[in-house]
Amino acid sequence: MSGGGESRGATGSPGRPERGGGWGAMSGPPILEIDRVGKDFGALAALTDVTIGVASGEIFSVIGPNGAGKSTLFNVIAGLHVPTRGRVVFHGTDITGLAPERINRRGLAKTFQITNIFPEISVWENVAVAVQSRQPESGRLASLWRRSPVDAKVHDLLEPFGLLGRREELAENLSHGEQRYLEICLALATEPRLLMLDEPTAGMTPGETKEATTLIRQIVKARGLTLLLIEHDMSVVMGISDRVAVLHFGEKIAEGPPDVVRADPNVIEAYLGGAED
Amino acid sequence: MRPGEYRALVVFAALAALPFVPGMSRYYLLLAFDALLFGTIAMSLDLLMGYTGLVSFGHAAFYGLGAYATAVLLERGYTSLPLCLAFSIVVVGLYAAVVAYFATARRGIYFALLTLIFAEVIYTIFRYTQTFGGSDGIQGLPDAHFWPGVPIETAMQKYYLVLGYLVFAYVVCRVLVASHFGRVLVAIRENEERARFLGYDVQRYKMVVCVISALLTGLAGAIYPMRSAFATPDLMVWTESGEFIISVMIGGIGTLVGPIIGGAFFTILRDKVSSYVDWYFIVIGLVLIFIVLVMPKGLLGIRRLFRRTVEA
Repeated sequence: MSGGGESRGATGSPGRPERGGGWGAMSGPPILEIDRVGKDFGALAALTDVTIGVASGEIFSVIGPNGAGKSTLFNVIAGLHVPTRGRVVFHGTDITGLAPERINRRGLAKTFQITNIFPEISVWENVAVAVQSRQPESGRLASLWRRSPVDAKVHDLLEPFGLLGRREELAENLSHGEQRYLEICLALATEPRLLMLDEPTAGMTPGETKEATTLIRQIVKARGLTLLLIEHDMSVVMGISDRVAVLHFGEKIAEGPPDVVRADPNVIEAYLGGAED
Repeated sequence: MRPGEYRALVVFAALAALPFVPGMSRYYLLLAFDALLFGTIAMSLDLLMGYTGLVSFGHAAFYGLGAYATAVLLERGYTSLPLCLAFSIVVVGLYAAVVAYFATARRGIYFALLTLIFAEVIYTIFRYTQTFGGSDGIQGLPDAHFWPGVPIETAMQKYYLVLGYLVFAYVVCRVLVASHFGRVLVAIRENEERARFLGYDVQRYKMVVCVISALLTGLAGAIYPMRSAFATPDLMVWTESGEFIISVMIGGIGTLVGPIIGGAFFTILRDKVSSYVDWYFIVIGLVLIFIVLVMPKGLLGIRRLFRRTVEA
């Protein structure tokens, strides 16, 4: 560092830019900035001063033991909960407290930890209704009588997940793993720039988990998406993440590349202090 | 033309031939009028119940307001059919927009209660103030006219009027449920929260479908005084809304055709049983309990049972 570094060193830690609690080492411009977000449920502080920056094009994972506040963080970002403190900025626009449908239309799609699909209609119709959300007719008067041409897009979404053969099946009749895939299809169908997956491999066998992780990575890279992933199983995220943040009792206790975070004493403590998963 | 549309065409053709059945009396033709009108209303309600997953306990108010809109015009000597229909669209549309705006802000039982409360307010105004004739309503109305010089006076004309409206309403509903919009309605019924996270403004969709359903019901109401020559507050009483719901259930929810059959079945059953006994509602109740227990998919479900035996 040259002369300027010394003066900066007097106010913050040298070498790394330190904004609002530290972004960590980000590769690109931030697509999502979570700025000192807090969320209380009555007397319970589910999130305390969480600050995370996600760079465009990276795979960022939020990990932590069960009950650490990961899903709450997702729900705050996606608009299900309004944060008690702090703000969420997506693509330079403040989206704090917007309704879920408005946030989704800005290019941010999420899946749910507990499978959340349309149970009593076919797999095909599930994805079709998601795809047509981004068709020109959507929200227009003509949508009352016109049908959007969605077949090609639905086909392309179902194919990589191996769901084409199950297209006529009711979604509720799919296996657990297939339902998890369908859930990702729904999110992808809205053509997001940022995809948020909440424990996509929950309930899968180790073999399925490996397969799913590889597939998700392929699709995210092929579509040029930014991925924000929640996991409580550390082994899942280590292989695919560019960076990782660790939540523990609603606070961020570590952030950085996977191997650095894994070696962090605080993280080891948090995971070993609770029950080892 | 898809098979379903072809079948519908056959059914409508058969209904069009009904007045020419030997021995068809004025009485039966007017009963057929009531049956088809009730069926049309049940079908309109099915847009909410079967496709969107919303149960309205207030459809009687849309029906009654449409009837009063026509009655007020006929009473003053404005007998043009298009005018009556246009006026009821305005009246019912304005009221429906208000109800839809407030009711769709809440889900489940609260939606049902809000529609009921609004309807009861309207009923009370018409029943307990003398502005529109109080409990007597508006009686002794003149015949409406298709256009100047062509009155709607014979039972056959009245029957074809309601049949024409049924076909119109059926086409509207069919196009709607097959559209982009209809797909979103089903998604809302299946999982409202997920639909929001796919970028759909769920409340807006609910409001629009509520108003469409209300308008179709209100237009049916507008036709009713052209057959009965009166409009009374009894059309708006909440049990009427309950009968619409029952018709949807016994016909087959979420099928459009089923509720038409259910509404017609209910009307004819009530007419036949009440001509023999005063306590007709007990008989109807037993029949309905039987249908709900034995045929959870409604009368239209018989068709499916039949098809399964044929395939096996």
